[in-house]
Amino acid sequence: MANSELKNQIRRLRFENGEMTQQQLAERAGVTRQTIIAIEAGKYAPSLTLAFRIAHAFSVTIDQVFQYEEEKLQD
Amino acid sequence: MQKMAWLFVITTVLAVVASAVAVIWLYGKFGMPKAVAGLAFMGIAGIGGLGPLIFKKESGKVTCDERDTLINRRAALAGFGTAYMLVGAVCMVPFFVLGPLGSISVTWLPMIFMGAGICTFFAHSVAILLQYGWRGKNGK
Repeated sequence: MANSELKNQIRRLRFENGEMTQQQLAERAGVTRQTIIAIEAGKYAPSLTLAFRIAHAFSVTIDQVFQYEEEKLQD
Repeated sequence: MQKMAWLFVITTVLAVVASAVAVIWLYGKFGMPKAVAGLAFMGIAGIGGLGPLIFKKESGKVTCDERDTLINRRAALAGFGTAYMLVGAVCMVPFFVLGPLGSISVTWLPMIFMGAGICTFFAHSVAILLQYGWRGKNGK
């Protein structure tokens, strides 16, 4: 479930959006707070649908929330 | 899901320990056929099945999402895999212990079936707890 290649900006975006709590983000994305914690910590790679829902919650594009580090695969 | 998994792990361990103590005690007092009655304590494991009634879902709150579904699916695979290996081992042991012409009582069959069932749910629950982290550190 852990995914070191998938980085995310959820923590930063939460604070930039009026210090949104993990619970508030979870409610907006329709998941549990535990799932937000796991995604934020890079322990769980969300589905494409959930990634879009999280991006919509912040009103940004998906690549502004999640970044895939390709270099790690080539090593 | 974690609370239900904990409930099942605790009740199963209690059931196995209580049954083992009862069987040993009855065996020492009455001998083998009556000692099997001690297995009645395995019924304690049935309390684990009451999880959905004890831990009721909070209305309007998301309690299960895609990650929980994935964890549950992996846990189910672990549970069935464990049961398959257990049944396989139980089927092979008599062959090596008693030899190719040996025989066992058919009373072992329901016990193997019950054991496989309990083993499936136990491994399922342990796999759920392992994936969440024993104290829910991935989640809570």
